[in-house]
Amino acid sequence: MQRSQPLPPVGIIFDSDLGNQIDGVLAMALLYGLEGKGECRVVATTVSKPNVKAAALSEVIARFYAGEVSAAYAAMGRTLPVGLATAGPSKEDTPMLAVLGKQTAEGKPAYVHGIDSIQQTANPVDVLRNGLSAQHPGNAIVVATGPATNLAALLKFPLFLHFVPERARLLVVAAGSYPDGKAEPSIAADIVAARKLFAEWPTPIVAVGAEIGEAIPFPGASIEKDFTYTPAHPVADAYKAHQAMPYDATTAAMAAVLHAVRAKDNLFQLSEPGVITVLDDGRTKFTPTEGGKHRYLRVDPAQREKIQQIYTEIASAKPVPRAPRRRFGQQQQEQQQQQQQQNQPQQPPAAKPQP
Amino acid sequence: MITRKSLSRRTLLRGAGAAVALPFLDAMVPALAASGPKKAPVRMAIVYVPNGIMMDGWNPDYEGKLEALPRILKPLEAHKNDILQIGNLTHNTGRALLDGAGDHGRCSGSYLTGVQVKKTLVDIKASVSCDQLVANEVGKHTRLASLEIGLEDARQAGDCDSGYSCAYTNNLAWRSETQPLPPILDPRALFERLFGDGTLLSPEARKAQAAERRSILDFVRGDTQKLKSDLGPTDRRKLDEYLSSIREVERQMEKAASDNQQIDPKMDKPYGVPADFAEHFRLMTDMVTIAFQADLTRVLTFLVTREGTSRAYREIGIPDGHHPLTHHMGKVELMEKVRQINEYHTAQFAAWLTKLKSIQEGDSTLLDNSMIVYGAGLSDGNRHTHEDLPTLIAGRGGKYFTTGRRIVCRRETPMCNLFLTMMDRMGLQMEHFGDATGRLDGLDLS
Repeated sequence: MQRSQPLPPVGIIFDSDLGNQIDGVLAMALLYGLEGKGECRVVATTVSKPNVKAAALSEVIARFYAGEVSAAYAAMGRTLPVGLATAGPSKEDTPMLAVLGKQTAEGKPAYVHGIDSIQQTANPVDVLRNGLSAQHPGNAIVVATGPATNLAALLKFPLFLHFVPERARLLVVAAGSYPDGKAEPSIAADIVAARKLFAEWPTPIVAVGAEIGEAIPFPGASIEKDFTYTPAHPVADAYKAHQAMPYDATTAAMAAVLHAVRAKDNLFQLSEPGVITVLDDGRTKFTPTEGGKHRYLRVDPAQREKIQQIYTEIASAKPVPRAPRRRFGQQQQEQQQQQQQQNQPQQPPAAKPQP
Repeated sequence: MITRKSLSRRTLLRGAGAAVALPFLDAMVPALAASGPKKAPVRMAIVYVPNGIMMDGWNPDYEGKLEALPRILKPLEAHKNDILQIGNLTHNTGRALLDGAGDHGRCSGSYLTGVQVKKTLVDIKASVSCDQLVANEVGKHTRLASLEIGLEDARQAGDCDSGYSCAYTNNLAWRSETQPLPPILDPRALFERLFGDGTLLSPEARKAQAAERRSILDFVRGDTQKLKSDLGPTDRRKLDEYLSSIREVERQMEKAASDNQQIDPKMDKPYGVPADFAEHFRLMTDMVTIAFQADLTRVLTFLVTREGTSRAYREIGIPDGHHPLTHHMGKVELMEKVRQINEYHTAQFAAWLTKLKSIQEGDSTLLDNSMIVYGAGLSDGNRHTHEDLPTLIAGRGGKYFTTGRRIVCRRETPMCNLFLTMMDRMGLQMEHFGDATGRLDGLDLS
């Protein structure tokens, strides 16, 4: 493995039940916004809602932030594969998935994507494994929201498990309530998977409970104000389709993304170490334990407004054209070459031919 | 003819320095055997072409029954019902995965091993390839556990791609994680491996033997006559056809040697390697056909040319190197030449399938009882992509695969899933291989 270059920004693997809760869509908007600022790279996306339209929505959002605005990206021809569970809870269509059918004023599809069948998606295990295998040691973070179906499926392949602690330093999971509380739908939807995840996942886990999402809601007014720079914004359209406006959305998944990328900013407080267990009724319980691999986030009241401002500003940021994906080091080489060319003395302009 | 005494499947016609195995004959199946008729063995082969394939001429724009074939598959029209075209197979271990440049070295090194090979020129490291795992098992039943052949340079050292040893680009089969099995390029060497008695002849001795213009069939004439007298008319005809095919191979080798002398007496080619690509391809595959027919081996890897090759195809009017052409940067005339090379390769492959199909084995053919993967370790040679690798299987693997159709797997489906499925068919039940995440879905296995 070559390591003569500085590490690239942290690689985020994002697993969600996109299409169920608007929080997942907002989290993707925040994630791609942070990628646009060069703070992270989205290296893999997987969806645990077994519905092809959910995978298509994931690709629509990815293309919006990286594809349709960048000729270089479009020239790549193929987007990153979306891993999609083929079994599990919440198969049904939801109102927000209807945005895929939106048309422009000219009657053309407002959102272009390449996912109309299961073949155009990938097995989540392949996507998770392949995404991890391409990251520098410790330079990946897995962010998960929704049922743990896909991550639990990866845990069934012991031979691949060395990739997880070798390449990922953390799992941030938006599911449950902490230190305890009512049953949360993401856990209750697949209790077996949630149990396996908390019991066997080989890296430290930071859990983001529903209480965090409720304490710092995403203001619906921002959708009406900050996302209007284009007539077809998939995040704004999904938000409006999810529930009658106006409403403020919970943000546990956004908090998970923000903590994953900006943990150093201490925007949230971290609990003491402990162990999270999943009870039979879908509730989660945190038990402080010395040396425990689990922690959960707590709201720091002093940071509440700042966090809300980050959510709205970055999630609504205009897409930044992405450079085409290149091999590690290639970009640095090209920059050096450009610099060398700039440093070369200017050639005098060629003399005009005499008549 | 009904006999109670059956001929051994391992009977050899022997002569001085020669040992010729026999094809599958009726006399090898005792009519009154309690176990009923024996099934012909299943053969597994991998035919690898380098530098990717122009995918616009490879992938049909439909799934299901093969109807109109895209241009590069057109030469396989006569075998449309014998092939299974598979879309979306991926070799993640061929990708950079932090190792930088060197897609050609990686993709061929990982193709049958399923691992990310070590980027090095010296202390090479891969893994045991799937063909060798199979050979270790089924090779116990045949004279040769496996065959490795190729048509191009097989040097084993040096830098063949951005710091990857030539051992990765010039071999497909790996016996251990540090020991590749170089392909045989010289038809004469292959002939001796198949029909010799194990003693390797020096180039001088080969020439001397050839100068005598004696066929290997002359050396085993005594055994042949004796056997024929014990066979029924059908078996006698089968044996004559089989021995004729061996004689034909000898004639091709003599012609190649003679042609080489005429082209350039100092030509730096192994003795008997035809200068013409198609002839070389045919000669090697004719011998493999005989080897399959006589059950000398059931496992083949065929590195048509090596990954990153700059071989020119003057035979079809293309003087440019193959690899440079594949970096066409979208230039129409260069892309057209790559398509012509791809088409030329499939035409040679199709000719081999015709041969395999012409050989009857009980109520099926030699092709029916084979499963031959034809494919590449890159899809788009211009951009070095490792997903949707061009892949087809010819033959049904003994009524195992349902052919005559195209299936499209999910994106990122590991190529190793296919190999794991093929290993199942060869009787090797592996829990895991390479980066496989399961058996391949949608094959309608029987």
